[in-house]
Amino acid sequence: MKLLIIEDEPVLRDSILEYLERQGYICESANDFKQGLEKVREFDYDCIVADITLPLGNGLDIVKELKSLESHAGIIIISAKDALEDKLKGLELGADDYLTKPFHLSELNARINAILRRKNFDGNTIIRFNEITVIPASQTVLVNNNSISLTGKEYQLLLYFIANQRRVVTKSALASHLWGDEYDSAGSYDFIYTHIKNLRKKMLEANGEDYINTVYGTGYRFG
Amino acid sequence: MKLLTKTTLYFLLIMLPVFTAGAFFLYNRFNKEIKHETDEELLNDQLEWVRYLDTTSAGNPVFRISTPEFNIRPVDAPVQRKPRFTTVDIYQEPEDTYAPFRQLSQVITVRDQHYELIIRKSLIEKDDLVKNIIHVMLLAFGGLLVFALVSNWLISRKIWKPFYRSLDQIQQLQLNKLAKVIFEQTPTYEFNQLNSSLTSMTARMYQDYLNMKELTEDAAHEMQTPLAIAQSKLELLLQDESLTAAQQRNILLSYDELQRLSRLNHSLLLLAKIENRQFPVSAPLKLAAVIRKYLQLFEELIAEKQLTINSQLDEESEWPLHPALADLLISNLLGNAIKYNYAGGEITLLLAARSLQISNTSELAAIPADQLYQRFKKQQDTYSNSNGLGLAIVKKMADSYQLTLTYLHTGNVHQFTVKLP
Repeated sequence: MKLLIIEDEPVLRDSILEYLERQGYICESANDFKQGLEKVREFDYDCIVADITLPLGNGLDIVKELKSLESHAGIIIISAKDALEDKLKGLELGADDYLTKPFHLSELNARINAILRRKNFDGNTIIRFNEITVIPASQTVLVNNNSISLTGKEYQLLLYFIANQRRVVTKSALASHLWGDEYDSAGSYDFIYTHIKNLRKKMLEANGEDYINTVYGTGYRFG
Repeated sequence: MKLLTKTTLYFLLIMLPVFTAGAFFLYNRFNKEIKHETDEELLNDQLEWVRYLDTTSAGNPVFRISTPEFNIRPVDAPVQRKPRFTTVDIYQEPEDTYAPFRQLSQVITVRDQHYELIIRKSLIEKDDLVKNIIHVMLLAFGGLLVFALVSNWLISRKIWKPFYRSLDQIQQLQLNKLAKVIFEQTPTYEFNQLNSSLTSMTARMYQDYLNMKELTEDAAHEMQTPLAIAQSKLELLLQDESLTAAQQRNILLSYDELQRLSRLNHSLLLLAKIENRQFPVSAPLKLAAVIRKYLQLFEELIAEKQLTINSQLDEESEWPLHPALADLLISNLLGNAIKYNYAGGEITLLLAARSLQISNTSELAAIPADQLYQRFKKQQDTYSNSNGLGLAIVKKMADSYQLTLTYLHTGNVHQFTVKLP
C-alpha cells in the first residue's frame, strides 16, 4: 500500500511517516502544494493525506485535481481549522474523511485503514490477524473459524486494535474513536475497560489468544 | 427623563414666575392708574361742588346732605388743607352687599362755616374693568405660554431629530455588522461633529474587532499545529518498548495534558465564534432528536452511575439553532447533569414547545450566582476533566441567540431551564 503525505510542517510530517511506515505502509511525502500536485499527477497512490493550509496553495485543490484525474486514491484532509464549511467542502469535493489537528496517530492510521478497505475491495475485504478473521461486509468476526458475537463497540474496538496492531493505543484515543470528542463533556472514559474486558473474554472463550495487553496506566497494545 | 421633557419643564419653571410677576405688576399698575383717575375725578367733583355751594348763598343756609355719593355736614374740626383719599366698602341695600367706593374727605369752609365734605365714586365698574383686563392678560399669557411650549417642543423635536436617529443607530449596533454603519449628514454643526466622531469611532471599533477576531482565530489555529506535533511525538515515544513504567506514565500524563490544552483552545475558539455569531441560524431543528442522540451517546456513563432518566420530550419542539450549537447545548447541559450527579441519582428532561428543562440530583452545593457562568470557574477542583467553559459556552449561546437561561437549586436538585423568546 502506497501513501502520500502532503504536510508542510516537517516534524509532524515525520511523525506521521514514522507511525505509518511502522504499520507497513510505503510512504512518500510532499512539503508544499506544488510538490504535492506533481506527485499526485505522476504517481499512483492508494491513499493521500493532505493538509488544507499549504504553502503555494490549498489542499482542497489537490482533492479537485485528483478527482479530475479520476484517481481512485482515498483522500483524507487534515486541517488546523475545525471549520464545518471546510469539512463539508472537502467531503463534497470528494475527500473520504476529515481530521482536525491535533489528532491521534492511531486514529489517522485507523481511518486510512478503513478507507483502503472500502476503496480497494469494495468493502469485501477480509481482515485477518492470526486466528482472527473479520468480514466487514457482514460485521462478522471469526476466531478459529468460530463466529463470535460482538457488540457494536466491541467490533469497532477490535478493528481499531487490528489497524494499530503492536502499537500502544491510549485510552483517550480509544474513547474519542468510539464516542467522539464530545464525550469529555460527560466525564471519565474509565469504563472503556468494561468493553475491553468483554472483548477479551469473548475471544478467549473461542479459544483465541489473548492479544490485548494492558500497558500499565497508559493504554493497550494489541498483538 | 427625556431631554425634550426636561427642557420643556425647565422652560415652564422659568416662565411661570416671570409670568406671575408680570401679571402682578400689570394688576398693580392698572389698580393704581384707576385709583389715580378716580381721585382726579373726585377732586374735579369737589371743585364743582365747592363752587356751587359758594354760589348758593341766599338765606345763608347750613348744608346737610347725606347720600352714598355725596355727604356734607357742618363740623367744628379745623379746616384741612388737603383732601384725604381712601377706599371704603359701603353697604348697598338693593344688592345686600358691600361695594367698594373711592372716597374723598376734607373739612372745608363755606362762608365761615366748617363742613366735612365726603364725595364717593363707586369702584365697581372700574373693578370689573380691572378684572376684565386681568382676565384678558392672563388668557394672553396663558396662550403665549402654551404656544411657546408647543413651538418649543416642536422645534426641539425637529432639531434633535438627527440626534435621536444617531442614537437609534448606536443602540442597534452589533459588532459584527459595524462595517455598514453610516451616520448621515445633518444641517446642524454639532450633530455633524457628533456623527463624524461616531463614524470614525465605530470604524475604529470594527477594525479592532476584526483584528481581535482574527487574532483569536489565528492564535487558536496556529496553536493546534504545535500541539499536533508535540502530541504525535509523544505518541511515537510511547511505542518505545525500552521505556520503564514510570517513564511511560510521565509521557502519558504529558500527552493527556496536551489534549486538555487542545480542548481548552477549541472551547475558547468556540466561545469567540459564538460571540461573533459565526453560527448562522439555519432551518428550525427538532431538539428531541438531539437529546435522544446524546442520551444514547452517554448511555454507558448513565448506566455506570446507575442514573434514572425521566424524560418528557415534545417531539415537535423546534429551535432556531445551528445544528452544531444544538449539539453543544445538549452535550454540555446533559454532560454536566451526568458528571456532577451521584451514583443512583436522577436526571429529569422536560422539553416543551418553547422551553427545555434539565434537572439533576447532586451532592454539590448550589452554584453561587456570581460564578455560575464565569469562565474557568469550576465547581470542584476534583473534576480535573472539566475545563470550566461548558456553562460559559451555553450562556454565551443563550445571550447571542436570545434564549433565556435560568438556574435553580432546590434541595439537592440543580435545574437549568432554557427558554425561547
